[in-house]
Amino acid sequence: MEKATERQRILLRHLQPSSSSDASLSASACLSKDSAAYQYGDDVVIVAAQRTALCKAKRGSFKDTFPDELLASVLRALIEKTNVNPSEVGDIVVGTVLGPGSQRASECRMAAFYAGFPETVPIRTVNRQCSSGLQAVADVAAAIKAGFYDIGIGAGLESMTTNPRGWKGSVNPNVKKFEQAHNCLLPMGITSENVAHRFNVSREEQDQAAVDSHRKAASATASGKFKDEITPVKTKIVDPKTGDEKPITVSVDDGIRPNTTLSGLAKLKPVFKEDGTTTAGNSSQLSDGAGAVLLMRRNVAMQKGLPILGVFRTFSAVGVDPAIMGVGPAVAIPAAVKAAGLELNDVDLFEINEAFASQFVYCRNKLGLDAEKINVNGGAIAIGHPLGATGARCVATLLHEMKRRGKDCRFGVVSMCIGSGMGAAAVFERGGGVDELCDVRKV
Amino acid sequence: MPVFKAPFNGYSVKFSPFYESRLAVATAQNFGILGNGRIHVLELAPGAPGVTESVSYDTADAVYDVCWSESHDSVLIAAIGDGSVKIYDTALPPPSNPIRSFQEHAREVQSVDYNPTRRDSFLTSSWDDTVKLWAMDRPASVRTFKEHAYCVYQAVWNPKHGDVFASASGDCTLRIWDVREPGSTMIIPAHDFEILSCDWNKYDDCILATSSVDKTVKVWDVRSYRVPLAVLNGHGYAVRKVKFSPHRRSLIASCSYDMSVCLWDYMVEDALVGRYDHHTEFAVGIDMSVLVEGLMASTGWDELVYVWQQGMDPRAS
Repeated sequence: MEKATERQRILLRHLQPSSSSDASLSASACLSKDSAAYQYGDDVVIVAAQRTALCKAKRGSFKDTFPDELLASVLRALIEKTNVNPSEVGDIVVGTVLGPGSQRASECRMAAFYAGFPETVPIRTVNRQCSSGLQAVADVAAAIKAGFYDIGIGAGLESMTTNPRGWKGSVNPNVKKFEQAHNCLLPMGITSENVAHRFNVSREEQDQAAVDSHRKAASATASGKFKDEITPVKTKIVDPKTGDEKPITVSVDDGIRPNTTLSGLAKLKPVFKEDGTTTAGNSSQLSDGAGAVLLMRRNVAMQKGLPILGVFRTFSAVGVDPAIMGVGPAVAIPAAVKAAGLELNDVDLFEINEAFASQFVYCRNKLGLDAEKINVNGGAIAIGHPLGATGARCVATLLHEMKRRGKDCRFGVVSMCIGSGMGAAAVFERGGGVDELCDVRKV
Repeated sequence: MPVFKAPFNGYSVKFSPFYESRLAVATAQNFGILGNGRIHVLELAPGAPGVTESVSYDTADAVYDVCWSESHDSVLIAAIGDGSVKIYDTALPPPSNPIRSFQEHAREVQSVDYNPTRRDSFLTSSWDDTVKLWAMDRPASVRTFKEHAYCVYQAVWNPKHGDVFASASGDCTLRIWDVREPGSTMIIPAHDFEILSCDWNKYDDCILATSSVDKTVKVWDVRSYRVPLAVLNGHGYAVRKVKFSPHRRSLIASCSYDMSVCLWDYMVEDALVGRYDHHTEFAVGIDMSVLVEGLMASTGWDELVYVWQQGMDPRAS
C-alpha cells in the first residue's frame, strides 16, 4: 500500500497548479474548449477581518466616540495584524448608511490617515442600506478580480448615536401613484409586522429567536469567542451629569442581555402596531460600531506568507417587495449559493442579519435551514445592528467561526435584508487548513 | 474511426514500424496506482472502421510504456511498474511470454525506447532517477545513467545519431547524453516544473520538444539552448506526452491531463493547429504512424484507444 500512496503522490504532483502563470499569449483554435482551466492563484482571499465591539446608540460605550475613530481602529488593526504595508492597499471601500454623504466620505478619509494610511491610498463610501458593509467587501473583491488592484479593504461604519434614522425633507406627491414606491416609506418595523402577519410568524417564535440570540451571544462572549475578531478601542466616555471625561477601552459588545427570557419578552408591548408582534425585545438594537476586511489576490497572500482566513466566492443582491423587505435573504441566499455552484446543504454556516425576529424566522423556515448552523454566536438582536457596519461585522464573525470549526466547515454565507426591498448574500469558503492546493476536484 | 475499449486504464500506445495496421497499448489497473497491467496488440481492419485485439499479455503490475523492436517485427518491450523490463514475442503464444525479464530498476519503469538507427539496443527510464541502456544480446543492462535528481519520465533516442539520447525528468532538467561519454553532454533547465516528456525532431537532429507540468510544450535547439525556439501554450493541465511528426518537420502532437490531444506547428505564429477532445479522462498516450501519413493514435485513463486521421473527428464512425 505504500507503493500506491507513493504513486498517487507522484501523479498528484503533475496536477499541482503552476503558480507562475504565463504572461505569454495562448494559442487557440476554433476547436478550443469553452472553459479555461481554473486558476487558483486568481482567487480573492480574506487574510484578516476585524470589528469593534458593538455598543448601544446614545447609551452605550461609544456614545461619546467620534465615528471616524471607530473606523480608524479597525483599519489600523488590519495593518497591525498582517504587517501589510498600508501604501500597498489599492482602495478602501466603506459601507455606511446614515452619515451625511459627503461629510461621511471625508470622515472616512480622515480615519484612514489616523490609521496610518498614506495620502496615496484612496477611499470611498458605499450605501446599500443594511448590506452596505457586505457590499463594500463585494466591491473590493470585484475590483481585485477585475485587476484594478491586488489588495483592498472592505469596511463598514455606523454611529447611530451621531446619526439617528429619519426622513429629511418632503416627499414627492407622485409616491401616491406607485404602491411600491409608497411602501419604501414604511417604517422598518411595519415591514416586520407585515412579514409576521403575511407569513404567520407568531409572537412566541419571534421572542424565542430573540432569547436564542442573546443566549448564544452571551455564551460566545463568556467563552472568549469574540476576542480574536474584536479590536479594542481606546476612547472616552463623558458623564452626562458632571461632564467629566474618562478614558476607557471598549472590547465587549454591550447590548447583550444574558438574562433574557420568554416570559420577560412577553411583557413588552408592540411598538409599531397596536395588536402587532414586533417589540423592542425581538428587534435588532440600534448600535455604534465598525468592521473591516482585508482582501487580496491569493497569489499575493501566498507571496507574503499570510494565512488565508477565507475565500470570497460569490455575491448576490436581489430585489423584493418593499412592504415585506425582510424576506430579502430568502431570495438572496439561494441566488448566491447557486452562483457558487453549491446547494444550500453544502453550506455549513450562516450569518443572517436579525434585523427583526420575524424576518429572521421566516427566512430560516423558508429556506429549511438547520438552526444549528445559523448565527451560532448570536445575531443582531443581541449584538446590535449598526446598519452600514453589519456586513463587515458578519464577515468577521463568520470567518473566525469557520476557522475555529476547521475541516467540518467549508462554506459559509452572510446575508441581510435591505430597507426599501432588497436582499444581499455572499458565499465564503474557509481558507486555512484545507487540503494542499490541487487542481483535482473531489468526486 | 477505430476505437478499442480496454479493461484497464491506458498509459501508452505505439504504432508498429513494420505493419501499418498494428499497434500496441500499455494499460494499468486502477489508473496505474495499484493492481495489474496488460499489454494489448491491436489490428486495424483494412478499410472498414474497426479494431480487433490479436493478443494480450497480463502483468503483475502496471504497464507504463511499451515499444516495438526496430529489428524484429514481432518483438515488444514493456516498462513495468514493479521495476521490471519485459520482452515479448508476439509470434509466440502467451504462455511462452515474456521471453525475457530484467529486474534492475529499483522503482517504477516509466518509459522504454528502441534505438531506431543501431537497432540493437533500447533505453528505459525510471522513477529511481536513472536511465538504463540495454542491448538485445546482453543478460543485464549495459550502462546506467545516474545524473537526474528525480523521476525520469522519458528517455528517447536521437533519430539520426545512434549514440545520442535525451532524457526528461521531474527534476526540471532535460539532459542530452552520448553513450560514449561518461556524463551528460548538455543540461537544459527546460521548465520551472517537472518535465513529463520529450521527443526529437525527425528532420533536424538538433531540435527537440519538451512537455511539462507547467502546461506548456517548449521546442529547443541544442545549438542555442538558452532560450527555447517556441513556447506552446494552450493545454489546461500538465502535458503528459509530446511527439514530433515523422512526416512533417515542424508538426508536434501532445496529450494532456486536460483530456485533450493537440496538434501544433511550432514554426507558425498561431501554433495550435488542432485540438481533439475525444477523451473523457486524462489523455496520457499519443503516437503518430511512420507508415501512414497523418494517422494518429491516442489512449487515456478512460480505457479507450482511438485511431484517427489528422483533421478528422476521432469519434466519427
